[in-house]
Amino acid sequence: MKIEAHALEHYYGAEHILRGVDLSIPSSGFTAIIGESGSGKTTLLSILSTLLQPTGGTVTYDGKALAELGNIDLFRRRNIGFVFQFHYLISYLSLRENVALAALAPEGIDPLMERLGIGRLGSRYSDEVSGGERQRAAIARALINHPSVVFADEPTGNLDTKNALGVYELFREFSNSGTGFIVASHDKKIADFADTIIEMEDGIVKKIHH
Amino acid sequence: MITPVKALRKNRFKTALIFLSMTVSIAAIFLISAISGGVVSMYSAMLKTDGDIIVTQKGIADTFFSDINRSMTTTIAAMEGVKEVSALILGAAPVDPLPIVGIYGVSDNRFKSYTLKQGSYPKTREVMLGSKIYETLKHPETIVLSKQTFTVSGVFKSRIGFEDGGVVMPLEDAGKLFHKSASIFLISLNDLGQSDAIVAKVNALNSQIEAKTTESFIDSYNQFKIIQTSSDVIGAMAFLMGILGIVSMMSMVVNDRKAEFGIMRSIGLSSGAIIAKLLWETLIIALAAFFVAWGLSEGVLELIEHAEKFQGYINGEITAALLLKVFIVSVVMALVGTLLPAVYASRIDPMSLIQRGGA
Repeated sequence: MKIEAHALEHYYGAEHILRGVDLSIPSSGFTAIIGESGSGKTTLLSILSTLLQPTGGTVTYDGKALAELGNIDLFRRRNIGFVFQFHYLISYLSLRENVALAALAPEGIDPLMERLGIGRLGSRYSDEVSGGERQRAAIARALINHPSVVFADEPTGNLDTKNALGVYELFREFSNSGTGFIVASHDKKIADFADTIIEMEDGIVKKIHH
Repeated sequence: MITPVKALRKNRFKTALIFLSMTVSIAAIFLISAISGGVVSMYSAMLKTDGDIIVTQKGIADTFFSDINRSMTTTIAAMEGVKEVSALILGAAPVDPLPIVGIYGVSDNRFKSYTLKQGSYPKTREVMLGSKIYETLKHPETIVLSKQTFTVSGVFKSRIGFEDGGVVMPLEDAGKLFHKSASIFLISLNDLGQSDAIVAKVNALNSQIEAKTTESFIDSYNQFKIIQTSSDVIGAMAFLMGILGIVSMMSMVVNDRKAEFGIMRSIGLSSGAIIAKLLWETLIIALAAFFVAWGLSEGVLELIEHAEKFQGYINGEITAALLLKVFIVSVVMALVGTLLPAVYASRIDPMSLIQRGGA
């Protein structure tokens, strides 16, 4: 799936966040959107991932605008995964139940959790495991329906260096298997793992490195 | 089903508050409906005893105010198809220490409808007491009504609370006490098929009286309508209070669990699925509240029935029909009260999750 942005503009009140962004991102591979706080990377990620409607401009998925995609909830469930800075696991559900909540079919849950190294923690709750394990469960939830692309906003923001590198390695591994990752981060270490780096500054794309 | 139960357990405090609010509302509906239904059914049962047709003074709002001439019973009794006619005086008076007691003056032929527990049916200047009031008054040998002393001739048992907590005396004595000839006539028939014809004949006897079949009288009796309407209004208020309680508590619940619903939206769960999840949660609470309220109401009704203070006059019954009605009301209360907060939850913008803390 190819994601394209055309002349994206976005305002929060009077604040001009995105100032005419044009992009074309193949959903396969590992794409990092980097930039300082306030550069517009999170807003861009939110718009690309269908969570936020831009003030101006359009986003297309394989050439189709959002309005042409039909049921946006279903489109999101089938094609898009999310990983947030905070794990956002539902605290009253076990890790496995959290993954199952998103799953369209339950068969893949256990193998995926095994692959992510949290297979033995399925019955545990989020307050019974480490920060890295929580984020792995959140990644499992994002990957469970084999989405074309996973969007991640500062996914390592709450992790120590070791766990952060572990998360990037997982993204790398899964992107090699065909799932695309588009990750907004201000962590410079992400550059070692990404295929493409989009550098944002003051609401515009400053540079794209391949 | 497991997920809603887990969510309820996780949010124990608010779940308990919603449960309490619903239990109180449902119990209030149970109690007011059961008590008002009990009053109506007790009085109806009393009128239906040996009465296929009721005769009252025309145009009266309450049988207590009715005054008809008992000499007409002879003419009515002679009509073809009439099995028996009895006359009653319905009154109320204080009997020390009780502030008010139902007094029933009855013609001699009606005494047989009371099951004697002890003693004999009353003669002039005598009364018989219902078993409930006999106990309340600590087995008196005489009672004083309007400064006149009456000897207690016997004690009867009646399943009708008004009678069991009341005083029965000969019609003549009651007439002197309340200065009237009779309040109502109860006519029993040989064949119910003749009831309309006999009603017409009785009505033709005197323009000051009004005869109706017992069923028709009960359906149109103003006092019953007033009791029923009051009960419906109070029940509706309890229902609304229940809904308001659920709406406010569920709004707080949804606000507390914003991140959870945001996650659900972000992973593509439909609005309908989120609404359904919340509806299930309140339905489970409603179900539990219904059963607890039922048990609670049975207990309260039992207490009221045996409370000396109420003399057995308040005698509610939770019938199968009432159970079904209140069950439906409970479900509707849960669904209506949850709908608005659930719709709000289903529209939570997943964007609110980005750079926000904790689920």
